[in-house]
Amino acid sequence: MTVTDRVEQVFIRPDGKEKVTGAGRYTADLNLTGQAHAAFRFADHPHARITRIDTATARAMPGVFAVITHVDVPEIRYGGMVSDRHLFAHDVVRWEGDVVAAVAARTPELARAAAAAIEVDYEVLDPLPDFVANAEPGAPLVHADWQSYGGSRSMGRDGNILGRSTIVKGDADAAMATADVVVRGTYRADASQGAPIEPRAVIAQWTGDKVTVWTSTQVPFAARDGVAHTLGIPQSAVRVIVPLLGGGFGSKCDFHFEGHIAALARAARRPVKLVFSRREEFIAPDHRREGMLIELETGVMRDGRIVARRGRLTLDGGAYCGEGGFFAQMAAMHACGPYVLENVNVESRLVYSTNQPSASVRAPTAPQTCWALEQHMDAIAAAIGLDGAELRRRTLIEAGAVGPAGQVFGEVGAKQALEAALELIGYDDYLRGELPDDEAIGIACGWWPSMASPSGAYVKLNGDGTGVIITGAQECGSGAVMGLPLLAAAELGMRPEDFTLHYQDTDSGPWDMGASGSQTTFNNGRAVIEAAREVRAQLLELASQQLEIDAAELELADGVVRAAGSPDVAVSIADLAGSGTPLLGKGSGELPENPPGETSSCVGVLGMETFLAPQLITHAARVKVDRQTGVVRVMEFAAAHDSGVILNRIGADGQVYGGVLMGIGQALSEATWFDEQGRQRNPGLLDYKLQTASDAPPIHIRWIEIDTPNAGPRGSKGVGEPPSVPTPGAIANGIAKVIGRPVHELPMTAERVWSVAVDSLGLEWIDTSGKDPSA
Amino acid sequence: MSVSITVTVNGITYPLDVDPHASLLHTVRDQVGLTGAKEGCDDSECGACMMLVDGRPTNACSYLAVQADGARVITVEGLAEQDGAGERLSALQRAMLSRGGVQCGFCTPGMLISATALLERTPHPSEDEIRVALSGNLCRCTGYDGIVKAVAAVADGTA
Ligand code: FES
Ligand code: FES
Repeated sequence: MTVTDRVEQVFIRPDGKEKVTGAGRYTADLNLTGQAHAAFRFADHPHARITRIDTATARAMPGVFAVITHVDVPEIRYGGMVSDRHLFAHDVVRWEGDVVAAVAARTPELARAAAAAIEVDYEVLDPLPDFVANAEPGAPLVHADWQSYGGSRSMGRDGNILGRSTIVKGDADAAMATADVVVRGTYRADASQGAPIEPRAVIAQWTGDKVTVWTSTQVPFAARDGVAHTLGIPQSAVRVIVPLLGGGFGSKCDFHFEGHIAALARAARRPVKLVFSRREEFIAPDHRREGMLIELETGVMRDGRIVARRGRLTLDGGAYCGEGGFFAQMAAMHACGPYVLENVNVESRLVYSTNQPSASVRAPTAPQTCWALEQHMDAIAAAIGLDGAELRRRTLIEAGAVGPAGQVFGEVGAKQALEAALELIGYDDYLRGELPDDEAIGIACGWWPSMASPSGAYVKLNGDGTGVIITGAQECGSGAVMGLPLLAAAELGMRPEDFTLHYQDTDSGPWDMGASGSQTTFNNGRAVIEAAREVRAQLLELASQQLEIDAAELELADGVVRAAGSPDVAVSIADLAGSGTPLLGKGSGELPENPPGETSSCVGVLGMETFLAPQLITHAARVKVDRQTGVVRVMEFAAAHDSGVILNRIGADGQVYGGVLMGIGQALSEATWFDEQGRQRNPGLLDYKLQTASDAPPIHIRWIEIDTPNAGPRGSKGVGEPPSVPTPGAIANGIAKVIGRPVHELPMTAERVWSVAVDSLGLEWIDTSGKDPSA
Repeated sequence: MSVSITVTVNGITYPLDVDPHASLLHTVRDQVGLTGAKEGCDDSECGACMMLVDGRPTNACSYLAVQADGARVITVEGLAEQDGAGERLSALQRAMLSRGGVQCGFCTPGMLISATALLERTPHPSEDEIRVALSGNLCRCTGYDGIVKAVAAVADGTA
């Protein structure tokens, strides 16, 4: 497909009307006859051995239908790469959100009171919140017996290190010694949260041996599989339905609480409903952005050529693996970035702690790593006397460049994105000194892969010529599923509004990985197109018989099948659909393969070492810093993205506006602060500060639409995650230019910025490693 | 112990028996049966629960039902006009959709109430006034851009 094939129209999302009238139902809006309400008893200590659980008092309370603990469910472990969790803790609790027991009662208040009345005795263990210390050999183990757990061993199991991945190319040590200048930097990022505005909710109801679960998940099939696995029942006994989903941002990926509530409903012999409070929404999900320690070292020649990159990344995996196993390799790729690096040796370690588990949040690991790398790039530029934009101009990848693990890139828009962002933000004016001295422009570049995953869809036509798309894909709010009618309509010469969507029901749609990895259009779009093409062939066949014209001479447009060249010879799709012949197509589309790489020297290789149809990004931020207070304000923002061809402009722009603002939050105000025990100190929206309408700067967007090899439908890639990637880095570089020094802690709160700004006597921040950069 | 109150919600008067500690939000969602207003925090931090109480935008999660005794309450369900043909969206509702102001939609009911109150008070707000008026309503999806554009479009008659 070429760029000119794009579908250019403003498209009102099919779920729009129900959302603006209040008629749309989210999980918490549903109630079932006879339903009980659930409450959890969470761990009373972040790390402790359970010595006794007594539920008798709670069970005896009036209005309590059931109290369950680990003895009431099969002893089955679950987890992504490492099967390290049970639904209910029974030996050791490893973080404050571990679930010890669950109660079903007549009202939410009663359920909470009964959960509090459960008696749990513990032998308190030392908390292990320091993930960097936990990575040391001989450190006390978070999971003493984990060598015996099931799961994969592809990432190694060593001490507390649950995933170790390296990207090795050439000989970084030898090349480092030949560099004109070597620059080092150490960066620390705090944990942060997806923080959707909808706290999660789950309702489970058994009918016979079958359970239906309504849940606010981004991944209904993973939720179904989790229920079946942990309760030891077949997948056919579990139906997961997702009502409207009030945002997820990755934090509602993975199997979470559906198993607990299904088990509780079985014990209570009634439907059971769980709705989290905001505090629980912060504390209980095994999902948050990982805290990280990022150590980078780069050898560069005076002309900007990067001859060597060494790096060591340490990621806080928290108490359980969840689906976070691939993070180590993903972070390593972001420590390389979209640059030509001649030699690379990056090691990345995902480490257990007794903190909240980390797992996918919008572009997992990328914003923090990119924030560090892009500050590091500015330090390198300064060390060789180049402007930061010029260094990037010289080193960004282009067609033919070789990636860190040997991938040879096809056409990529990295350099075009850089130039576009510079133009949009007025970088030349800034270089000419036209900004006040408390303002500066920071830039950052980043990348993100397209994810290929199996996916499927059916398309069928109704008797009046309208249609239904039945898909396993999941809508999280981004509009990706909402855009599928555009693709079906284009294949069939129909209007997008002719289609309704049947989705988010595991008993009807084909398997799909869900709203994760920015891949719905990429994968399910392909499936819908293939299904529509089957219907197209059926329509052509019927029309050919009716019009007595060869199918090859027919075309579909404006709701009719007509003879190419003589539009009056036509039969309407409605007539064909009403003729009684079933019009039904199914599709999954052919999966593009990851580009080949050279990984013989790497360990922990999980398929992220090469990037399929990579998306390239440059962000530029004009920031204003109050040196007296450290308060930073983003005044203006430019975002240039190569996400391939944009199919739905209003939806794609919306991802940038939202993703950038989320990134500004991560840059300046959002962090989960753990106390020395590993308990969250700010599990509420007052102290965990999201950006508001008055914080948001004007954001200029430019789409670099180029033909990418192996792109998705109509040349598209993904748009959901990349907008979060370089935002904190761009802001960081702007701040450093105003105050003269970089801030190596994320978020860059007023206090942190202020202390760097006043610290004029501190250590030199560019370590030139004995080499004089001016020599 | 429960208290008898009378509340008019979207033009219909409901006699209700409520717990003295019940919030207006729970009462409208559970007893009146209108679930448009959402609970995002139960702590006056997110604005998803917003309703107009006697014309004032109010976080219904932090407002007791008994305080609303005798009040006229408007929820998001009361914003579209009803006629024989069904629901006709208000200019603001239409603009929210055409300007990309709605993604997951969880903040939307509160946003619409906040913006409706603003436009009644100040029919031609500046962009800054719009942003300040909406700053009690958190949205995690849209970056507020489409929402601010929608309100501006209604204000300048281009919705
Ligand atoms: S639920 Fe009322 S302000 Fe958040
Ligand atoms: S549209 Fe999702 S929170 Fe605003």
